[in-house]
Amino acid sequence: MNEPVRIQEEDFSQDAEINALKANSQRIGGIATFVGCARDFSEGRKVSEISFDAYGPMALAEMNKLRSEAIAKFGLLDARIVHRVTTVRAGDNIVFIAAAAEHRAAAFDGCRWMIDELKQRVPIWKKEVTPQGESWVTPHP
Amino acid sequence: MIKVLFFGPVADRVETREMQVAFTPGMTLHDVIAHIGMQYPGAFSIVSFIAVNQNQVHDKQTVLHDNDEIAFMAKFSGG
Repeated sequence: MNEPVRIQEEDFSQDAEINALKANSQRIGGIATFVGCARDFSEGRKVSEISFDAYGPMALAEMNKLRSEAIAKFGLLDARIVHRVTTVRAGDNIVFIAAAAEHRAAAFDGCRWMIDELKQRVPIWKKEVTPQGESWVTPHP
Repeated sequence: MIKVLFFGPVADRVETREMQVAFTPGMTLHDVIAHIGMQYPGAFSIVSFIAVNQNQVHDKQTVLHDNDEIAFMAKFSGG
């Protein structure tokens, strides 16, 4: 199976990611996931495409660090983070986060923490293409 | 040489993704910022993070070494 932390152009399969988690441990009692996807509307404008730029090696290293920190901080059994860096259209997948734990509280907390930290710490940028032109996205809370 | 990288909105403003700066012994991060920042003040106004060899640094007096890689980055917006 693929590495648990990846940056890739192609789409991901949520089933494949979850199956990879399950294949690693039968002690897992819950898996919380977050899927970030492209919207067709932002800041009052229609969005036709979103393109991404990344400082690839640093982004991947930071994502791996995030995963390790989440596993330690929340006592997770496993975790996976996949971020696409390409051009996407409305409805397309952007990011996948999964946290696997013995119980749901740790899974939910770990999943939420990883996506929040990813937005703060991982050098990836998104640009929205609208009928009015292109603009880099200002970070959302 | 020092390799300088730009990404996303910063790269757009500098109009390049990479440039080289001649290394001189004792050179600091501040020296590179002063050198490039003067040419592209608009780009440096949105720089929020700086990395040297893929590690974020806050101290502009950080001493550089030949072949170091510096990245100037705007606030992240992935996810």
